[in-house]
Amino acid sequence: MARRRYHDGLALHQALPGQFLPFLVAAMSFLAALALAGGIAAHGLSQRWTHGAGAVTTVQVPGPDDPAAGSGTRIAAVQDIVAHAPGVATAHRLSDAELRALLAPWIEQTGDSSLPLPAVIEVHTVPGQDPMPPLLPRLEAVAPGVLVEHDSVWSDRLAALAASLQACALLAVLIVMTVAVCVVMAATRAGLQTRRQAIALIHSLGAMDSYIAGRFASRVGLLALVGGLGGSIAALPMLLAMSHLAAPFSAMTDAQAVAPMDWRNPRAWADIVPHALLWMLLALPPAAGITGWVTTQLTVRAWLRRLP
Amino acid sequence: MFRLHDVSYAYGGNRAGVAALSHISLDVAQGEFRWLLGPSGAGKSSLLSILSLEVQASAGMVEILGVPVMQARRSNLARLRRRIGTVWQDFRLLPDLSVFDNVALPLRLQHRAEDEIAHEVHAIMKWVGLENRLDARPLQLSGGEQQRVAIARAVIYRPALLLADEPTNALDERQAGRLMAMFHRLAELGTTIVVATHNDAIVEKYPAPAIELAHGHLVRDYR
Ligand SMILES: Nc1ncnc2c1ncn2[C@@H]1O[C@H](COP(=O)(O)OP(=O)(O)OP(=O)(O)O)[C@@H](O)[C@H]1O
Ligand SMILES: [Mg+2]
Repeated sequence: MARRRYHDGLALHQALPGQFLPFLVAAMSFLAALALAGGIAAHGLSQRWTHGAGAVTTVQVPGPDDPAAGSGTRIAAVQDIVAHAPGVATAHRLSDAELRALLAPWIEQTGDSSLPLPAVIEVHTVPGQDPMPPLLPRLEAVAPGVLVEHDSVWSDRLAALAASLQACALLAVLIVMTVAVCVVMAATRAGLQTRRQAIALIHSLGAMDSYIAGRFASRVGLLALVGGLGGSIAALPMLLAMSHLAAPFSAMTDAQAVAPMDWRNPRAWADIVPHALLWMLLALPPAAGITGWVTTQLTVRAWLRRLP
Repeated sequence: MFRLHDVSYAYGGNRAGVAALSHISLDVAQGEFRWLLGPSGAGKSSLLSILSLEVQASAGMVEILGVPVMQARRSNLARLRRRIGTVWQDFRLLPDLSVFDNVALPLRLQHRAEDEIAHEVHAIMKWVGLENRLDARPLQLSGGEQQRVAIARAVIYRPALLLADEPTNALDERQAGRLMAMFHRLAELGTTIVVATHNDAIVEKYPAPAIELAHGHLVRDYR
């Protein structure tokens, strides 16, 4: 008896067949998943490149052996602050030999070995953290003239590259979504067209626009949800494999990168796949469903305007 | 009940279109029965489709059951349609639904309970003499049987305004008589009824006030 409720003549199983739309939505969700995964990967890499082990900060202290504002030498005071700051992995003062090797080209040109050299501290920060800016006022207080330089030519470039990869991914997702909306609109219009006599009839029997649009939209929403689910499931193995390959590049700690992968353990998957990626795969089906539902509501309501 | 004032209608828009109705003014009270007469092409079906809210008049004022149709919101028009029953000249049964589902359709759209729907459908189908064809498809029925299904669907939700376009043209004399008896009973109960026909015999047999059209103009309107 309950099924009879839907004997309202719309025959949506004919108007919106259940094979075509889910398949197309699945294909597009798959593409969207890949694009989003690319975007998330680019984000992860840029995090590492801008804040990670690749980035070195140098702190130059002119007149290292002069007395500091408080007590002790300037270099000792600076080293004390830098070494104990949270977020600093190592702070290594370059020896005279290292410094001369570094500056050899310039020193040879001037031929003067008695130039007063500043002390240089090479700071490696903990990946994902940028502890130096908040330290600057304190460093300046104990050793005026101290110079902090972030070696950022490469990391800036890589960050820019990552940002443009992310923009491309976003653009790809937008294009896929636009195509998906167009496909849903076309399918809905075709469905409306095949059932136009039944629609005109129930319209003249007093069916509200909201009822007709709701019936079409829940059917399309469901089909799109199923399609989105299919796309997510299809993308999962591919993204797992890619995450595994990318792990050494995007891992935050080096130890994790070399650990062998145990494919039978789902917990290990969760470890190598960025959590953002898993959330994205989970969010994709409802997003597809909602997009289909909204598009169909708008399409049907616009179409019904032809009836008075 | 319903009022038309200076109503015109043209298919395909006012300027280029075919003028089907010109400057019609009418006032019909609750519980009245009216014939709608005129030769073929006079505009009878067009007038009924304005009253059943299938088309909007191109000009003039239309008021049905106290609702000014030209200014009403879409949702109010939908609600108004639920109080108007129509028997179309071409029946408009849905071929892929059973007879039962066709007749139940208006009640389903009003979200009535299924047992109540079943009760109502059986009662009305018994009255039109088709209670044993509930599972048939419309195209498995004769013309007269289809017409009776269309009539059953139009009256099942007890409309306040009942519009019927040539409702007897496929019926035999006995069934036409039964239908006329039902119309008079419904009118007594307060339903306003307009029946379009060019069957002079039945009009003579069941005399009632008439609205007469010719070439889209009102030529006679008496009570
Ligand atoms: N869909 C349409 N498009 C264009 N013109 C139409 C349309 N329907 C009807 N007409 C024209 O409008 C005029 C009135 O038609 P209508 O159907 O109202 O006549 P009628 O009185 O119901 O005729 P009949 O007794 O044959 O049913 C006719 O000239 C007809 O050709
Ligand atoms: Mg007609």
